[in-house]
Amino acid sequence: MNFISEARAFLKKCRDENDRQSSKIVDVYRDVLSDSMKSLGDERWVVYEQVALASFDTRDWEVSKQCLQQLSHQYPGSHRIRKLKAMQLEALGAYTDAEKIYDALLAEDEANSSVHKRKIAILKAQELIPEAIEKLCEYLKKFQSDQEAWLELSNLYIEENDFPKAAFCMEELLLTSPHNHLYHQRYAELQYLIGTVDSVELARAYFAQALKFNPQNKEALFGFCSAAQWLASSTKLASQKKKDNQKYLTWAIDQIKTLYQKEIGALEGKDVAVEDLMAKLSIKAAPEDEVEANGEQKKAD
Amino acid sequence: MVDLVLDRDIRIWVFLPIVLLTFLLGVVKHYVSILITTTRKPELQQVYDSQALIRVRYLRENGKFLPLKSFLMRKHYFNDEDSGWLKTQNRPAPASNPMQDPGMMTEMLKGNLINVIPMIVIGGWINWTFSGFLTTKVPFPLTLRFKPMLQRGIELVSLDASWVSSASWYFLNLFGLRSIYALVLGEDNAADSTDAMQEQMTGAAMKITDPKAAFKAEWEALEVVEHKWMLANVEEDLCSKPLF
Repeated sequence: MNFISEARAFLKKCRDENDRQSSKIVDVYRDVLSDSMKSLGDERWVVYEQVALASFDTRDWEVSKQCLQQLSHQYPGSHRIRKLKAMQLEALGAYTDAEKIYDALLAEDEANSSVHKRKIAILKAQELIPEAIEKLCEYLKKFQSDQEAWLELSNLYIEENDFPKAAFCMEELLLTSPHNHLYHQRYAELQYLIGTVDSVELARAYFAQALKFNPQNKEALFGFCSAAQWLASSTKLASQKKKDNQKYLTWAIDQIKTLYQKEIGALEGKDVAVEDLMAKLSIKAAPEDEVEANGEQKKAD
Repeated sequence: MVDLVLDRDIRIWVFLPIVLLTFLLGVVKHYVSILITTTRKPELQQVYDSQALIRVRYLRENGKFLPLKSFLMRKHYFNDEDSGWLKTQNRPAPASNPMQDPGMMTEMLKGNLINVIPMIVIGGWINWTFSGFLTTKVPFPLTLRFKPMLQRGIELVSLDASWVSSASWYFLNLFGLRSIYALVLGEDNAADSTDAMQEQMTGAAMKITDPKAAFKAEWEALEVVEHKWMLANVEEDLCSKPLF
């Protein structure tokens, strides 16, 4: 009984926080809950749905079959179950079949935004990025304040190396949650990648804002340093501005040094030649940032 | 002061029956509401409109976090005299009287049927059958202000305020059984009348009855917003002191 309530709490937490711990969810279901689903009461239907979704990720078709059977027995013809079945088809790679189901669902209820998004996800899964972008733009014209979709569109644009447009999408996210330091950081990275004087100045400001919201954000600190360095060495700036940037740069380098000494120095107990490392880092700054943005975007997928 | 002693029969025939009755009423209400409510499909246009309005509102409130260029770009998109989104949308005026919409009528009727009518009927019946009883005493002293709330139906000036009359006991149960319903019926149950009240309040804000007026109001609000960039001095601010 104790295990069951623990499992139940874990699944509820995952549902509430939208946590995609698929393999753990499937394991919990198989080891603890599969024989005692009845004891969950009406909650078991949500759990079946959750486990089914997780099992598509882990490709446990036996588990998916059990869950879908239970669900379609309880709710025959429900939209949610039909969508779930289509998602299973997607997971199996049968994109056209899945799309047929989605089209039928949309014909019945066009306001169902998650089905629209599934169709776009199919395009993305087939690596048809330009088509996915086009569809997603169409979708966002109607559902204008869908944060998830804006973030996804931003990622797709990054994949296409279209940074100004990706930055536009990040602006939408800044509007909806202006206190999220990660959004500020991402926006700054995009501006840095655009690489004009104005945009790098913006990047510097947004890196600084991200740092202000979260002083622990090392990427933002390094980004701030790189942006200041870029501007300080640019030929197009007035001398006053250059001086300012020089000031920011020294400040940032000081901070990085302190951080470095605190973390590495504390570990090894010796003074590392930070200046040498710094010199190496700042030369590589631009390509590194690009790699970082791409790497993050993969993670977000 | 000599304490009152209540008859034992009051406990068996008044106190417990009221608890049981209100509880069963809640359970029945839950199942009846499952039977007769229809989930109304939101109208497509209405969804789009509310999404756009949310976006305008965010722009208005948080636009200061964007660079000036981006802010003006969005403002132009929504507010431009000739091509602005808020200016070019044409929506039919809503039906002047919501009573004429038969869908609305049945919805309201159902809501009344489930929530208000049983409450009044049972409340009236309890008032009629059990009126004039003291049923219980709360185990702490209360000020005189609580008397009308806890001693409905008993007008005794000298009575201590912590005594609870039968009619008041019914109302306390009606609102206080919330967590028990959650235990028995699961989380989102319909027996909970406090929930219904909240829904009424938020529901009014979400549903746009007259999109045209809403667009105009948003247009005006956005028009007067002045962009003051939050990040104007952020570097100076940040560099004035060490991070760690």
